[in-house]
Amino acid sequence: MAKETKKIHFAHEFKELEAITEWFEKEDIDLEEGLKKFERGLELASSLKEYLGKVENKVKEIKAKFAADAVPEDDTDAPFES
Amino acid sequence: MNTVFSVSQFIEFLNDSLAALVPYGDVAVEGEVANFKISQQKWVWFDIKDETGILNCFMTTWDLKVPLEDGMKIRAYGYPKIYQKSGKFSITVKAIELVGEGALKKAFLMLKAKLDAEGLFAVARKRALPRFPERVALITSNSAAAYTDFLRIARERWGGVEIDVLSVAVQGIQAIPEVVGAFRYINAHAREYDVCVLTRGGGSMEDLQAFNSEEVARAVYGSAVPVVCGVGHERDETLADYVADTRAATPSHAAEIVFPERLEVLQSIAHYCARVNRVVESNVQTRQHAIHSAVSRLDSFFARRVEFFSHCSERVGSAGSRIAERVRAAQQNVAHAHARVSSTFEHIFEKIFERVAYNERILKTLSPEAVIQRGYSIIYTADGTKPVTSISQVDTGDRIRVKLKDGSLLAEALKNLNSLF
Repeated sequence: MAKETKKIHFAHEFKELEAITEWFEKEDIDLEEGLKKFERGLELASSLKEYLGKVENKVKEIKAKFAADAVPEDDTDAPFES
Repeated sequence: MNTVFSVSQFIEFLNDSLAALVPYGDVAVEGEVANFKISQQKWVWFDIKDETGILNCFMTTWDLKVPLEDGMKIRAYGYPKIYQKSGKFSITVKAIELVGEGALKKAFLMLKAKLDAEGLFAVARKRALPRFPERVALITSNSAAAYTDFLRIARERWGGVEIDVLSVAVQGIQAIPEVVGAFRYINAHAREYDVCVLTRGGGSMEDLQAFNSEEVARAVYGSAVPVVCGVGHERDETLADYVADTRAATPSHAAEIVFPERLEVLQSIAHYCARVNRVVESNVQTRQHAIHSAVSRLDSFFARRVEFFSHCSERVGSAGSRIAERVRAAQQNVAHAHARVSSTFEHIFEKIFERVAYNERILKTLSPEAVIQRGYSIIYTADGTKPVTSISQVDTGDRIRVKLKDGSLLAEALKNLNSLF
């Protein structure tokens, strides 16, 4: 079994990176806030890249009986064709 | 020794023997449907026949999962039974499989029309799939090629996903209840899954019929988790495909739909980074320009101010000297005025003094003393208290006092002459 890498929420982090990119494409940006976001963006990008480089899928079989009980019911009382 | 049964006992004996002989699920009877009818919306009767034989079948509408009509070729699963009240032999059918392209196609079209009319295929209800799924439920047979294909593509494209495999029969009599059961399991654990994949490889229409069943279609419809359905080959279409939120052509295609491609995502990340970099760089540049221009504007502003102030101070200096000059002039004016006022007053006072002296002189001239000094005399009454200015004041014989410059005389009025001399 592959060694488990640091669990990250890829979807959340990717979305955050997208949001940061969009933020930078606004008309006016505040440079101070921008630098913070820039650093966060770099951090996210490197964490996402690391995730993509390492992880494998974990396949697990669900051991459950899915079929309903197949034993037929007693239908003695069913009406008859007239 | 002969065994004697009552009728009821014998029927029961026969039914037990038949049940032991023909265990449910092991045997199916294949034939063509005839005399199909439904009564009270509950009970289904039909005959199943071939060229030489015919059997009566009974089932409930609950167990009838496929649309049925006379002439369809079917495989009936059930158990044989002799009914006590009628003594009639029939097969109690629990499940039906359609046989042959014709029957399957017909059933498919009938059910498709029905489900379509009910809105099960409506585009509006189809849910979007998550872009980056983290937990995926896979409903398929773990012994089929579809299973390995799906997992291979998943691994090639993406990682870090937990794939729960719900292994089910994908054909045969167990396929429908197991697929439906798998959806029941997923609905009970819906919060644990981002997406559900229902898949199997290609096959004949008969092989795929579980995926054309009303039960599976409704299970897909009722899934609490978005469903991707990839059944069969490219050209195969099943009702489960129509109902699913997203239809995939094959199991591999289902994996391509569900999982993003690593390289593409890496490119996106690189692209985002480049965009952000570009913006930051251009912003820094813009701000540098702005700072430079602000500095030069400030420079020129201060230069202008300095120039202005020096100009002002010059003007203030010259104004100062002009003011000093004016003050001096004013002081002079004041001095002049003062001098003029003084001389005017002096002049006036001189005049006044002259006038006073004159008046004094006049007064002195007019004074009785002065008159006496000039040689005149003044007559007073004898007691010397009143000057005598009229003859009426003196009678003949009255004594009078005459004042001269060097003394006075006491005299007597001798006679009133009534004339001046």
